[in-house]
Amino acid sequence: MLNIQTRQTGNASVVSIQGKVNFEVTAQLRDVIRETVATAQPKLLAINLEGVSFIDSSGLGLLVAARNSVDKSGGKLHLCCLPATVKKSFDQTNLTNYFSIFATEQDALRGA
Amino acid sequence: MAKGTVLVVDDEAPIRDILSFYLKRAGYQVLTAGDGLEALEEMGRSRPDLIISDLRMPEMTGDELCKRIKSDPATRDIYFIILSTLDGTASRIGGLSLGADDMIPKPFHAQEVLAKVDSTFRLIEMQNEIKRQNKELTTFQSRVQEEMELAAALQMGLLPKLPGKAPGSRYTHRYLPAAGIGGDIYSILPLPDGCTAMMIADVSGHGVTAALISAMVKTSFENQVRLGGEPLAWAYGMNEDLCRSTLPEQFATAWLGHLDPVSNRLRYVVAGHCAPLRIVGGTRGGLQRSEVLRGKGFMLGLDEQLPFVGYDAEFLPEDRLVLYTDGLVEVEREDRSMLEEAGLRRICAELPVGAEEAADAVITQARAYNHPAHFVDDVTLVILDRNA
Repeated sequence: MLNIQTRQTGNASVVSIQGKVNFEVTAQLRDVIRETVATAQPKLLAINLEGVSFIDSSGLGLLVAARNSVDKSGGKLHLCCLPATVKKSFDQTNLTNYFSIFATEQDALRGA
Repeated sequence: MAKGTVLVVDDEAPIRDILSFYLKRAGYQVLTAGDGLEALEEMGRSRPDLIISDLRMPEMTGDELCKRIKSDPATRDIYFIILSTLDGTASRIGGLSLGADDMIPKPFHAQEVLAKVDSTFRLIEMQNEIKRQNKELTTFQSRVQEEMELAAALQMGLLPKLPGKAPGSRYTHRYLPAAGIGGDIYSILPLPDGCTAMMIADVSGHGVTAALISAMVKTSFENQVRLGGEPLAWAYGMNEDLCRSTLPEQFATAWLGHLDPVSNRLRYVVAGHCAPLRIVGGTRGGLQRSEVLRGKGFMLGLDEQLPFVGYDAEFLPEDRLVLYTDGLVEVEREDRSMLEEAGLRRICAELPVGAEEAADAVITQARAYNHPAHFVDDVTLVILDRNA
């Protein structure tokens, strides 16, 4: 079960995710991200992964696609609060170097 | 064209005539019968959509006729309206309990009967439409099912034929797609210079789309290998191919390897894929030590500009290589733990001598570890043994 919360702070949108991000839930998460980007058109989209217990390759693909779509609309995507298991998946796929990753949500939002 | 066919059954000729007159005028085709027996005879010649029948008649009564019509699977879908002088709720229920679809009390107004017939035909039409759509859906579903089975068979055909042989080594695989058809693929190609090219990949997602992309990944790999070079060049080429031909969110993790049996070196690229295991002297059986062929790298198909890194490891005669996709080690158990790489290494610490037996042992033990949870993702396991 995936729990997704979104909030707006200044020019930034924050999407907080809790649960297991795998193939079964990517559609749900994709809709939320798409809607947030379309309606709020944030300069910065911060995705807080603190509550994520596991992420598989479909989840990683979704984040990559999110980065690309935010890039295209002239915004930025920041990820923050990666738990150790998620960090491992990012390391293995070298995505640590593909995303801007921050330790805290505050750091991720700085400059927004 | 007639709107439909109505069979009027009544022993009183004037009633048959009045109903016939109005129904025909309204555009229906009308058949008539004087009692139940005549009605059955008439139905032997042509099939009505609706029967309007009196209850009390000589030879065969309306109840008996209704019972027969409704108990015969060939005719039970024909609408049956009872026309009767019996009035009041009790007899209505009696009529309907015989299986009749509706009742019209006598005496009746012809317009009332006509209105009821019209509404009944609207119902019949709706039912026919539902039946037609249902049939269409069933046909569509079985066609999709057939196509999926064909596609699954075709995909199995994309995998190397077993038992697999490459220069100086032999291999086998276990391929367990999650949905009949899956996004895992692997390929092992003997090269003209006596080396071997290897690839295992896992396309994001499941089902037909992932399967299509997996076929593309295989073709792309084989093209790259034909161009010569080594895993690093293959990774760049395949990444370009995939970036150009897939949609966002569609990409593949892959491990690409090149085995040189003379220098005993294995050059490889990790593109976001689970790192394979090298089991030192693994083909000799008994207790073994495994090494993880680590490396970092982006998945294929993310971005054309991304860099890849080449790695190098020793791979000696009698060593065993275990390639796999994450579905094997990422099943969440009831206690929320997963087998993961560490668990697979524990399993691989003692495997049987033969590749086939070793593959069975890995799958069996992974399943036992996950039990009662099942594999939920595509699972591929390849075991390659170097000859002595």
